[in-house]
Amino acid sequence: MDALFIISNAIVLASIYGTLAIGISITWSSLGLVNLAYGFVFAFAGYGAWLVAQHISQWGPVVLGAGIASGSLAGIIICALAFIPIHDKPNFTIRGLIATLAINLLGTQSLLWWFGPRSKSLPEIFGTWKITLPGMVLTADKVGNVATSVLMLFFVLRWMQASRRGLEIRAMMMNPHAASIVGIGVRRTAFYVMAITGGLAGLAAVLLSQTYYIGPYGGLTPMIKGVSIALCGGLGSVRGAVIAAILLGLNEALTSAFFGGQYVLITQFLFIIAILLVRPRGIAGILDRAREA
Amino acid sequence: MFQKEVLNVRGLSAGYGPMRVIHDLDLIVHSGERLGIVGLNGHGKSTLFSAIAGLTGWQRGSIKLNGIEIGRTRSQGPGRYTHQIVRAGLSLIPQGDEIFHGLTVEEHLDSGAYTQQAWRERAQRKERILEIFPPLKALLKIPVGRLSGGERRMVAIGRGLMADASLFFVDEPSLGLAPKIGKSVMDALMSLKLSASAMVIAEQNVSVLEGRVDRILGMHAGRLKGEAAASLAFHTSYQRI
Amino acid sequence: MSEANWRNPIFLWGAKGVVESLPTTPFRSHQEIWRSTRKSKTKLFSVGRLRYYYKWRGHGAITWRRLRYWPTRRRVLRVRGEYNPKNLRREKTIVDKRPIWWAFGFIALALGPLFTPIDLQNTLLTAGATFGIYAAISLCWMLIIGTAGIISLATYAAVGTAAFCTAILSIKFALPWWLLPPIGTVVGLLFGALIALPATRLDGFYYALLTLGLNELCRVYFSTSKIFGSATGGLYGADTYIPQNSSQFGQLLVGYYACSALMLLALLFYRLVDGRRLGRILRMAPEKREAFAEATGVNFRQARLVVFLISSAALGFIGGFYTSNFRGVAFSIFNFDTVLLGVGMLVIGGIGRAEGAVVGTLIVVFLDRVLITLGPIRLIIIGLIMLSVVLYLRDGLFGIKAQFRNWRDKKKSERRSTRAEKGGEMLPEEATETHDKDIVYMRRFDKMQRDYLKTLVSSEVIEEHRRSPQGQHSEALQRLLIYFRTRPQVDKYAIAIVELFKAYRIVALSGQRGVPPRVVEDRIYPTQKEAFHGVFLRRVQDLLES
Repeated sequence: MDALFIISNAIVLASIYGTLAIGISITWSSLGLVNLAYGFVFAFAGYGAWLVAQHISQWGPVVLGAGIASGSLAGIIICALAFIPIHDKPNFTIRGLIATLAINLLGTQSLLWWFGPRSKSLPEIFGTWKITLPGMVLTADKVGNVATSVLMLFFVLRWMQASRRGLEIRAMMMNPHAASIVGIGVRRTAFYVMAITGGLAGLAAVLLSQTYYIGPYGGLTPMIKGVSIALCGGLGSVRGAVIAAILLGLNEALTSAFFGGQYVLITQFLFIIAILLVRPRGIAGILDRAREA
Repeated sequence: MFQKEVLNVRGLSAGYGPMRVIHDLDLIVHSGERLGIVGLNGHGKSTLFSAIAGLTGWQRGSIKLNGIEIGRTRSQGPGRYTHQIVRAGLSLIPQGDEIFHGLTVEEHLDSGAYTQQAWRERAQRKERILEIFPPLKALLKIPVGRLSGGERRMVAIGRGLMADASLFFVDEPSLGLAPKIGKSVMDALMSLKLSASAMVIAEQNVSVLEGRVDRILGMHAGRLKGEAAASLAFHTSYQRI
Repeated sequence: MSEANWRNPIFLWGAKGVVESLPTTPFRSHQEIWRSTRKSKTKLFSVGRLRYYYKWRGHGAITWRRLRYWPTRRRVLRVRGEYNPKNLRREKTIVDKRPIWWAFGFIALALGPLFTPIDLQNTLLTAGATFGIYAAISLCWMLIIGTAGIISLATYAAVGTAAFCTAILSIKFALPWWLLPPIGTVVGLLFGALIALPATRLDGFYYALLTLGLNELCRVYFSTSKIFGSATGGLYGADTYIPQNSSQFGQLLVGYYACSALMLLALLFYRLVDGRRLGRILRMAPEKREAFAEATGVNFRQARLVVFLISSAALGFIGGFYTSNFRGVAFSIFNFDTVLLGVGMLVIGGIGRAEGAVVGTLIVVFLDRVLITLGPIRLIIIGLIMLSVVLYLRDGLFGIKAQFRNWRDKKKSERRSTRAEKGGEMLPEEATETHDKDIVYMRRFDKMQRDYLKTLVSSEVIEEHRRSPQGQHSEALQRLLIYFRTRPQVDKYAIAIVELFKAYRIVALSGQRGVPPRVVEDRIYPTQKEAFHGVFLRRVQDLLES
């Protein structure tokens, strides 16, 4: 098999899953909520993009934008249902987890009921051009996928560093008590965080649906992969998630090259378990260098 | 001379769960006034600040900040309305360091500017704060998690000064600091001009406040006991505690 | 207020500056306030905080003739006997009625098939069999999550792995059905041992995410491997205990009763683990208080691991039974939906209770299998129920009573503390903390006194005092003055002489030796009479404010 082909595949997948993983990390460290309703967000964004493609326009950026927008909308719904009512009640971590699972069930079944079980497909977003490099052929969707996700991530992270809302989100990520003393409201910031991570998930959904079809259950595998990457990278750190995404993407590529596709998950989980046994907090445990108070 | 009442507390009781820490407290703070609250540890000074900011388990009684009622909220859990109370004009600089360990000093000061106007003017205000605390000038880009205790305290106080708060609560500014640094922090606090705002400083050590505040109140077992103008009967309030 | 006049008795002796009569406050008995305070104004309900038990007739303490579980001496029902002095009878109350509810449930389970309508028999009996198996799985899962506190979402992975392994062994090597559950137990134990290693290192919550991934791993592995039937969607053809030559109704009945027997076994298993030593050790070490357990020398980590392993073995047993019941396994057991429904079963009933697992499973299986004609809506309903239970109920359906009682107590104490006034009666929390209980009564008496005295203050009384601060006074004024004069010295108003006969000033005594009084105001009074009146006015103001 062509090694470069596999590696390029792996990079594409890693960038898409990495987007999802970074969203999960940000949600966890700023809100204390692990959002396992990404299956629903994925499917919702996919269907939203499909509806727009059917009725409004088939132009690439519009479809992409529709996916991001519906992903944000799904994120806001999840925030309103699973975070706001219980974030200051006892046992919030577990209850939030179960609440997001319930929303996942509810949401995917509603989409199944509304749209029916047949999968839909999205139009080509990036066109059908190719770049031919010595040794491999890069199709449009691969280049487009990587470029879009990296660009979007770059914008989001830049926005979080530079803008006022981003500062509020980062402050809340580090110390929610101090944040409320400085006038940062948890609920308002929560909506921003969930909208942004929902938008990231929506982007990942639209990008992935180039290869796979859109269905009510389409978001489950990417969500579990994203959760595993976030776990491996350390649930609170963006850098850890990026590094974990790259490592797991390489792992996937190498395994499918040498052992075959069905052993990919096994090696991935062995790798994740090995890292978690050494560092129970993930890769970011190694990167942490802040001085302890 | 008619002074505006910045803070009017009547019958405040506050506590955590079944434990009542503050019993039926009355307090009035006028604008332009510097007030010192003196008391031993565990007698309710920090809880008083937390109760007014809405961070205790529950609080009862009327709290009026600039005439707006901020007490009398149903006990929905600590900290639920704190950010709204802060935006109404309260600046709380708590005991210990409530800092964001990954943000730089500059970002800390930015985060303190929560009103629109303060955000627009943040460059000038940062300049002003750097003049009050000169050692911070060299540390602007360093994450606060790596600074020493005195520098963190300066950052926390500077952050509290960024927005135009009408009431400053400073909780034990010299706690845990070396005497020289503690003295410089206190000097900075005392030299701040309070035109329409007021400052309440809680301290264990009366001698740090002597002569520099307008009024000193004693706090014992959750009640305010006795009052002394700083110029008169200073020693009596010292002995009472 | 009506007019009343007070006649000064020393007028007859011609004292200087004394008038014959002055208007004053009309008479009010001081006993009015006592009576009104002592009267109870609270609305009492017939069913209040007291727990209500129905009293049965009969002697409750006949210990020589009780219903017991043979051969132990454990009683079936905990009964308490009392003597009722009103109707001169002995009565007994059943303290814990839960065995009765369980007994009803088991009877309903046993007699269920007799009462099913003919046209729904197939659906109901298969649903009943499914309920039995899933209830058993939920009980073992409840052991892992509730007792051991390890949040693992890989339960169905364990069951599925055991089911697939036993199925393939039965198909390839034609093993009889009664060997399948023991083999499943071994498989389950191995699976549990494999995934127990990360469980010890990871926080409970991170572990949940890891097991989610493991579930997916199992799904992908089994559904893509040819030996496990990737072409047919599962394995089929294992040996079963259901006699193949009887009627369909007979087969369904045997399956139903066998699955119910499995559920009863699982209940017994739950009771043996949770109700005995292991469960008690783990109840000592709840989530936040593990340090306490460790300090006491209890090895709760080992207990957790042991519970995890034996529950995994039990899940393997159930997996083997699954194969022998359904003659095979499909891949749908590894679906995320199955895990979600399983979590729903646990959450709806309440985590940590066996009855929660069983009732939760009942609700979910009923909605999922019996109402199958509704389509995806039935899962939407399950999702809605799950969401509302998680958002509003702290402990599932069976925790509603405790949650409501808690909330009612909180509201009561909030209302009580809003009624507390400054310097008034002590709140119960304060009263239990003071050492000298006499203070509680003194403050209550003081409050009653002040309430009464407030009604006595009027402009006539103040005018009377202004005329003559010292001398004979009317009853209302006299009562006020006696009260003021008998207050403790701390913060008591007094008059300081600035210059004899010419200037006086009001100060407040400190009440402590050596501490000088503090100045109250800057005003100087030219005569002693005015100074007295000034002190009186301040005291009246403080009285009215308190």
